[in-house]
Amino acid sequence: MTEARFDELIHPSTRLSLVATLAAADWAEFAFLKDRLQLSDSALSKQLTTLEEAGYVATERRLIGGRRKVRARLTSTGRDAFNAHIEALRAIVADAVAPSREPPA
Amino acid sequence: MVDIAPEQARTALDAADRARHQVAEEVGLPRGYWWAMATGWLLLGVLGTVLPPWLAGIATVAFGVGHGVLAARLLDGRRRTDRLQVSAAVAGRRIPLVVVGMLFGLVAVTVLVALALDADGAGHAGIWAAVLTAAVVGFGGPEILRVLRRWVRA
Repeated sequence: MTEARFDELIHPSTRLSLVATLAAADWAEFAFLKDRLQLSDSALSKQLTTLEEAGYVATERRLIGGRRKVRARLTSTGRDAFNAHIEALRAIVADAVAPSREPPA
Repeated sequence: MVDIAPEQARTALDAADRARHQVAEEVGLPRGYWWAMATGWLLLGVLGTVLPPWLAGIATVAFGVGHGVLAARLLDGRRRTDRLQVSAAVAGRRIPLVVVGMLFGLVAVTVLVALALDADGAGHAGIWAAVLTAAVVGFGGPEILRVLRRWVRA
């Protein structure tokens, strides 16, 4: 069972979508992420760098067919942080749905 | 405690779920696989007509074995494009079964069409049946697989 832990680094919407996409894949190319998240090159690079500096993402540059391609993958630290963040979000929603425990007047 | 409203948390969960679904949509087999399969189908249809039955049988078994060896890495459905590799958790374990089941179904369709054409007096019924199925596989393979995945929730 994953422990719930809210993660301020992952929570911003663009970064959350990026991490969620990477969590569902073993790896994804820069171009794929750019298309899916509808980000510019520089915006995606910035998000990846932030996550890489936190140790959540690892990137790899590969030369394929004479073209340089960047692959990104979630590290095990990043995957744990994402799972814990999702649990934290679920807990917030569950707390709101749970009936009040106040005794009747 | 984190100062996040339940609505915000729900919106974030929806965004994460959407991202996962987008990746799940990438599950499938490469377009080249379907065209290779269509070519093989056509070839077997021709061989089944021009070769003696025992030799055609060997060719069919060889095709099946070749498919098993060459496509084994693709059948898990995680490598449809070279832009990402879907995780095993998202792809699930049933894609190979769905693909193989689909191929068996198409074999049955080919045989039924060939028998129907033969009963109607058509020449080279086996070849025409193979042409029809090859066209279905080549043009519609990915779409058929997508529908089957939805049906069996794979």
